[in-house]
Amino acid sequence: MPKSQFIDPTQVRKSGKIEFKDIPVNQYDKTIEEEKVKYSKSQLIGIYHDMALIRHFETMLNTIKVRGEYEGIAYNHPGPAHLSIGQESAAVGMAFHLGVDDFIFGSHRSHGEILAKGMSAINKMSDEDLLDMMKNFFDGTILNIVSNNHQGDLKSLARRFLVYGTLAEIFARETGFNKGLGGSMHAFFTPFGVYPNNAIVGGSGDIAVGAALYKKVNQKDGIVVANIGDASMACGPVWEGLAFASMDQFEQLWEGAHKGGLPIIFNIMNNQYGMGGQTCGETMGYDIAARIGAGVNRDSMHAERVDGYNPLAVVDAYERKMELLKQKKGPILLDVLTYRYSGHSPSDASSYRTKEEVEAWEAQDCIVAYGKELVKAGVADQAELDAIQSDIVELMKYSMTLAIDDEISPRMDLVKHPELIGDMMFSNESHDKMEDRPVDVNHPMEENPRVKQIAKKERFAFDVNGKAYSKIKQYQLKDGLFEAIVDRFYKDPTLVAYGEENRDWGGAFAVYRGLTEALPYHRLFNSPISEASIIGTAIGYAMCGGRVIPEIMYCDFLGRCGDEVFNQLPKWQAMSGNVIKMPVVIRVSVGSKYGAQHSQDWSSLVAHIPGLKVCFPATPYDAKGLMNTALQGTDPVIFFESQRIYDIGEQFHEDGVPEEYYEIPFGEPDVKKEGKDITILSIGATVYRALEAANELEEKYGMSAEVIDARSIVPFNYEPVIASLKKTGRILLTSDASERGSFLKDMAQRITELAFDELDAPPVVVGSRNWITPAYELEEFFFPCKEWMIDAIHEKIVPLKNHKVTSNYTKAEVIRRSKLGI
Amino acid sequence: MATVVIMPRQGQSVESCIFTEWFKQVGDEIKKGETLFAYETDKASFEEEAAEDGILLGVFCEEGDEVPVLQNIAVIGQSGESIDEFKPGGSVIEPAVEEKEEEVKSLETAEVVEQVVVKEPAANGDVKISPRAKNIALDKGVPYELLVGSGPEGRIIERDIQAYLATAPKVTPLAKEVIKEEGLAVAEPGTGLAGTVKAKDLSASNPVYAEDYEIKNLPNIRKLIAKAMHASLQNSAQLTHHLGADARRMMELRKQVKAKEGAPNITINDMVCFAVIKALKKFPDANAHFLGDSVKYFNKVHLGLAVDTDRGLMVPVIKNADDLSIAGLSRQFKEVAESCRQGSIDPELLSSDAASFTVSNLGNYGVEMFTPVINLPQVAILGVNTIVPRPTDLGGGVYGFVPHMGLSLTYDHQALDGGLATRFLKQIAIEIENLEFSF
Repeated sequence: MPKSQFIDPTQVRKSGKIEFKDIPVNQYDKTIEEEKVKYSKSQLIGIYHDMALIRHFETMLNTIKVRGEYEGIAYNHPGPAHLSIGQESAAVGMAFHLGVDDFIFGSHRSHGEILAKGMSAINKMSDEDLLDMMKNFFDGTILNIVSNNHQGDLKSLARRFLVYGTLAEIFARETGFNKGLGGSMHAFFTPFGVYPNNAIVGGSGDIAVGAALYKKVNQKDGIVVANIGDASMACGPVWEGLAFASMDQFEQLWEGAHKGGLPIIFNIMNNQYGMGGQTCGETMGYDIAARIGAGVNRDSMHAERVDGYNPLAVVDAYERKMELLKQKKGPILLDVLTYRYSGHSPSDASSYRTKEEVEAWEAQDCIVAYGKELVKAGVADQAELDAIQSDIVELMKYSMTLAIDDEISPRMDLVKHPELIGDMMFSNESHDKMEDRPVDVNHPMEENPRVKQIAKKERFAFDVNGKAYSKIKQYQLKDGLFEAIVDRFYKDPTLVAYGEENRDWGGAFAVYRGLTEALPYHRLFNSPISEASIIGTAIGYAMCGGRVIPEIMYCDFLGRCGDEVFNQLPKWQAMSGNVIKMPVVIRVSVGSKYGAQHSQDWSSLVAHIPGLKVCFPATPYDAKGLMNTALQGTDPVIFFESQRIYDIGEQFHEDGVPEEYYEIPFGEPDVKKEGKDITILSIGATVYRALEAANELEEKYGMSAEVIDARSIVPFNYEPVIASLKKTGRILLTSDASERGSFLKDMAQRITELAFDELDAPPVVVGSRNWITPAYELEEFFFPCKEWMIDAIHEKIVPLKNHKVTSNYTKAEVIRRSKLGI
Repeated sequence: MATVVIMPRQGQSVESCIFTEWFKQVGDEIKKGETLFAYETDKASFEEEAAEDGILLGVFCEEGDEVPVLQNIAVIGQSGESIDEFKPGGSVIEPAVEEKEEEVKSLETAEVVEQVVVKEPAANGDVKISPRAKNIALDKGVPYELLVGSGPEGRIIERDIQAYLATAPKVTPLAKEVIKEEGLAVAEPGTGLAGTVKAKDLSASNPVYAEDYEIKNLPNIRKLIAKAMHASLQNSAQLTHHLGADARRMMELRKQVKAKEGAPNITINDMVCFAVIKALKKFPDANAHFLGDSVKYFNKVHLGLAVDTDRGLMVPVIKNADDLSIAGLSRQFKEVAESCRQGSIDPELLSSDAASFTVSNLGNYGVEMFTPVINLPQVAILGVNTIVPRPTDLGGGVYGFVPHMGLSLTYDHQALDGGLATRFLKQIAIEIENLEFSF
């Protein structure tokens, strides 16, 4: 909601109509004869070679899957193989003009794209750069394997490198491009500009936009291509990616070199089927996928359908579209028509289409047709083409022999090194900045109005007499977050933050107040209300080397970016064999007062997913220290905040929240109050109610409670909790998450296992009810309070003299509720 | 009519705002819609417009003030109108200060000790007990099967074990093992030091003497003696010096007494006590009571004498013994000893407080050396042993056997040092060796 843009009612209420530009369909009509002047013989034959290379590669995989052998070499490959036989021209045409700095993202059906883009990069890189890259990749492991007995030039060595590395990856070998952790559906190779292929349909639709954002924000060369299928055009995240990529602000609000559209092409590899569903005529209504562009922006995304059966038609389209991107006219939508003869996967019997249909497309096969054209135009004779084919078959046999040899291409030795995969889940690196260059800021930090305002605040909540300062004078939790974030913005030039209402409003809860003044649009901006794209783009941004703080306001909106948070963000570090880092700090806020869809603590959901770090500070000191740690690291962090306590002052750290930089390590719980008779372990804002319970236990029942604030839950060090338990023998766990399946249950189980002999009673969990969150006025019946905690202690841990319960923690009630599922 | 301007409320949770600027001065004419003032919350800055035409009659806050929301901050009206009624709480703006809760806690955190209730173990062997309680029980040898738990649903929890331990006697490690093996409960103190339960206390049957014994309750006097003697050893620093006195003179005097018709029967014991009294007159430090942080010195000697009776040991006192001749002393000794044996002794005379020093004579029984126990609060006691011949240098290179009487002085090192005690003991010997009296 920038004030610079005036919404004039007389203007917007005027009558009129929308006119769409024409969207061209299959307009390319040149022959090779005509194109001979434009492309060299080696380029034209190279296209043939690359298509044949893909065809043989996938034919080999298909034969292995179906017959258990290829060219007499037996092998069983139990993993997936989603093939694109028939689509080779689309892949090679797409890659032809792309340079190493141009990044492609793909799908589960992207072997062809890897090989096409890889060959394109090999052709464009100097021998020196190629050799250098191969020598450095995984310390030259792959190069050493393929150099053996190699005769020929460096480019042919690089071709071996490409084919072997991809195949070894598909066969889950440690010598594959991603140490065998990505596999067929996720293989990629960033040195050739091949970014992650994604086994979730449409998964690249928003991630690739983040890569384009990275290029724009950090002024990097190159464009980004999102290779997605025609069926993925039904996926929400793809639409969200389109919306994000086409925001007006790039043109209208971003300034200087940053003004203009994102350098991205949404490349629909339109093979006309989504598994067995026919997108035209059955499962979609767009008829021709390029039509979608008309609904997205004024330029209709410069959309166009291209005949992807003709590689030169695709090459031509890329030439024109890349020129548009050079003029900052992105985003672009290409509908590349193609067809796959192979099934969705080897188990697909193609029951959804006729034999005649497949044969009709095979009759126009892209490689055969292109070969005939080459001969007809006198570019090559049939013998030359046959020689290419047989050379490729030899290459396949060679690569397969190496890739299935357990000596040369071993799998990860998890017997000898049982924690190899565990060690890859997090990169655990520490970097002030992700790139060394000056930061783009509007003024020196000390001139910032918020910084000046905070300077006047009291950094400890109480004066020397123990009397609390007024709320507004106290340095609050949100000030702690702000200090850590603004500090990082002045350190790391790649850092960007965005989300809903992040800019002028200062974030819905005022954490970012003052940042708008400090930062230009390209570092802090409002996104569409579209959580999948907020997180998806952040993933793409980080993959390319940037640091990012996406914010999704309410924790409840995590479901809106479920795939991004559960399937993408946590996986790519390990799936890449630690080639990729993921410095993404997602800010989520747990609400209250706003009912069922705005009050949930979902820390348990994200804690369940391997590969995410999760923290939930409850004091200004912890908030600043943990945010500093999150922003110094290279791992994805889900950073929980609570709207109950954004304005809380520092009540524990008596020296006040330090003005200088400091880090609080993830995983270390903090004793907020010492005690000896019972331990209360809490997560998040609930700690203040735990402290109330501790006071009452002491005053009314003479029981001294130790209150421990978990602070972070993944990772988590149980040792301090066990130490406390040794003293007290009793433990109650509490948080605002609904009690069933909450992370507290996981902690309770681990504590039982680790300290069974210390326990004087089972660990008892007090969470929220398994209900909807009711209205604010009824919240006391839903969220844990001190009375519940004391009742639970009385009922399950140690009966308290003369205690009258107000809530029901009996076993019978537990069973009744469980039976009913409430 | 005057209109009041209030500090707006920006959101449910905002309690006060910082006032930042007046755009109008008092007395200015104001048009509705003109920006009147600016203020900020911790989330954002705001400007407020005038809601009425009029003259700014007065303002109640200035830049930097923290003003509670909904409080009056200005009045707009016509000149001449009074603004007093709108002033918030006088004109002083009280900052909204939250009282920190008093952190006075009645720290009676000493956990309430549960009552120990013992029951028969469940027939099926089921015991509800927490792992922690069970560990402590096994470690300390607590028969937890017999306890009634105070935890949820009768579970035995740590505090039940602690309560048991607080009331149960101490148990030796061996006894602990026996308790564990045999599942016994220990409720009575044992025979060990301070009631520690020993393994043999637990056995129903002793393998040596089986049932061949009889248990008798202690008579009261026995209990008193036990208590006094035990208290003596516990509460003082006792040690004993032994020294021999040449007994020839005393034996000579005894012979003379015996030889003289009609003379009182003055015994060796009477003579020793007579000598002790003389020595005590020279060593007042030994004729005293030690009272912890003070010492009571006696002007007179009140001599206690240990008397063996059927009822047990009694120590009657001879008041002002230093006033008596040896004949008087002898006579009084015989009187009190007799009334002790008959049980007619005045209890006042048996109190250990009554004597200033005590003599215990076991010489008659042939005891050659012993360590008497002090009657507190007295500082010393003299044990008198039998007379034995001892080789002695008779001068001129001649050695001969000389009868010597053994003297054993137990003293409380809290009150007396070893040097003084030694000199005192030596003095007794000198008095014995040079005894003079007429009869």
